[in-house]
Amino acid sequence: MKRNRRKLLQMLGAGAAFYGPWTVNRVWSQAAQKKPLVIGLTMDASGQFGASGMDERLGAMLAIREFNEKGGVIGRRIEALHMDTETTPATGSRIAERMITRNEAAVLIGAVHSGVANAISQVAQKYGTVFFNTNSSSPTEAGRDCHRVKFVWDGNGTNFNHAIVKNAMKASGRNWVLLTNDYVWGHQTSKSTRALIEANGGKVVEELLVPQNTRDFSSYLLKLQQIKPQVVATAVGGDDIKALRQQVVQTKLDKAYAWINNQQDWPDVYGLGPEAVFGVFGTTWYYRLDLPGVKEFVAKYQKTYPGVQIKVPGNVFLNGYLATREYLRVVEEAGTTNNIAVIKKLEGRKMAAVDRMQHHDAWIDPATHQVQQTIYMASYNDKPVEKDDIFKILTQVPPQEVVDQDAPKACKLETYEATPSYEQ
Amino acid sequence: MDFLLNLLPHLLNGVSLGLLFALIALGFMLIVGVMEVINLAHGSLFALGAYIVIALLAFKVNFYLAFLLAPLLVALVGMLLELCMRRTYGKDPLYGLLLTFGAALVIEEVIRLAWGSGEKQLAVPAELSGAMLVGGLIYAKYRLYASLAALGFILLLYIFLEKTPYGAMIKAGAHDSEMVRALGINLTRLRLFVFALGTALAAVAGIVLAPIWGVRPHMGVDAVIPAFLIIVLGGVGSFWGAVLAGIMVGIVVGVTGAYASEWSLLSMYLLLIALVTFRARGLFGKKTALEA
Repeated sequence: MKRNRRKLLQMLGAGAAFYGPWTVNRVWSQAAQKKPLVIGLTMDASGQFGASGMDERLGAMLAIREFNEKGGVIGRRIEALHMDTETTPATGSRIAERMITRNEAAVLIGAVHSGVANAISQVAQKYGTVFFNTNSSSPTEAGRDCHRVKFVWDGNGTNFNHAIVKNAMKASGRNWVLLTNDYVWGHQTSKSTRALIEANGGKVVEELLVPQNTRDFSSYLLKLQQIKPQVVATAVGGDDIKALRQQVVQTKLDKAYAWINNQQDWPDVYGLGPEAVFGVFGTTWYYRLDLPGVKEFVAKYQKTYPGVQIKVPGNVFLNGYLATREYLRVVEEAGTTNNIAVIKKLEGRKMAAVDRMQHHDAWIDPATHQVQQTIYMASYNDKPVEKDDIFKILTQVPPQEVVDQDAPKACKLETYEATPSYEQ
Repeated sequence: MDFLLNLLPHLLNGVSLGLLFALIALGFMLIVGVMEVINLAHGSLFALGAYIVIALLAFKVNFYLAFLLAPLLVALVGMLLELCMRRTYGKDPLYGLLLTFGAALVIEEVIRLAWGSGEKQLAVPAELSGAMLVGGLIYAKYRLYASLAALGFILLLYIFLEKTPYGAMIKAGAHDSEMVRALGINLTRLRLFVFALGTALAAVAGIVLAPIWGVRPHMGVDAVIPAFLIIVLGGVGSFWGAVLAGIMVGIVVGVTGAYASEWSLLSMYLLLIALVTFRARGLFGKKTALEA
């Protein structure tokens, strides 16, 4: 009996030694035999949106890592291929072309600058490659520049305006000045702001166009003082908004008017100090939302990326993560990377609030391919619980209330037949 | 009259901005003049100055002391770069250009490695921050001090170049380096010194502008392009040409920013095109043999 028990234990030990790792290794060995699934990360590492591009890349990499730890997707290991799109549309086109034709990327993920996103999506549509615009939020992206292969994961300028403009007009006044970054996102966002202001009986006293890469805003600030508006609505992004914010604070004009910043991306404000956050702005997520899964997600971020400068994740990181994770889930469900199969799975797809760590369920509009999601209004937090706690979430608005009604009218998706079949 | 009163603050603001541009351009020009090399690393050294001050402040070094130490440390980096450049002297100027381009990339990447890619803020002492009223308009106090600092450094540089024997050597070196060597002046040491001085000026400009522009690894690009333009506009080698061109660029950018904002950055290039069309050698550039 004693001998039998020893023998049984030996057999169990041998079985565990063999089958334990084997169940994992078998998945890996199978995955290794198949061609890796290449995800082309078309994210800026330099230029106006370099910081945001790097942040969304970390988000995408986390999702890829999670899937690889499970053995990949449809039996294939996932490889990430990143090239710097340099916040430049021409570079975006070139990289998209290269990733599709030379590197056989199954999907392209990433964009912050609307011009870059539009350039990438044109190339992607030519080949039929699915493209996820993770963080660029010009209303045109899911409007006139929409494509069958393109899916837009961020809230757009109109969504944010719906959440903010009416309230700001009630609280602060009807005379507005628009400070607009002189490129497609700035123009389209300010156009939407203007429409909402005028529809609600307000007046745009002046619109000042800010060229990209402006570093000195003193002439704009002097001009604002001469105009004396009640509200200043900015559609200025990336490094430009950082410089603007610093200079507004230096001149103490942050207290002189109500400042509305259409959308505040986390990498654009992180580390600047609480005094550099002013006015009311929109976002799609905050790391201290009191929702299930948020704390665990923050802990996972900190464990995965202990050395990064941004110590807690923000909206840009989350969009990169959620978009990549959803693509891999869809491929897993479809059992293929075939573009049409993936697109059909994505169109109208519902995503539970708890899964996305937001207050309301989200869905992908089949007519525009934009993710309709909760929008948060926020301001500077005067009672921070910790160093990074710089946002105070004022309210959350359900996606149904901020839908961009003009987008479906402007968006003309190519037919499935007109979209080349693509599978890698 | 109302229009002029409205315009006045923008003109003053333009002068202030122009003085800062001129400071960047002068360091750049000093190296071009004596070394006959366009130092493409000038922008990265400009950024390095700001980052070194941030690092020193983190070690609780006094702001004003950090302001003095950082340019000296950047000057050491400049001297190291000059040592690397020695092998390119007398060869195709492209070698020097490529070397400084490579150095710019290396310095920028070192900055990214050491301080990260994100934005940093250089906090200024309380006595320099805040706002003041100028003609009923609020203006940042720091911007005024920055302009005064730029003006002070420009004047100091002028006095150094015009009133000291070292300045005379530098000017002579820029004019005819072989003659300077024939007179027994150590040209190698002179070049080393000029490079250090030019890069220290880049660092000074970087530190002064950091609280206004913010600090990021590629901030030098925003500085070096206007600097290059100002040198051409002022006439290569002309001290006061660079200062005047800097002020002109500042005024044009400032005024267009207020009245036709979408043209503000483009305006400096339009100014260059307009001026060079009628005066190819810039404001105070010397005639070439072909023009004489």
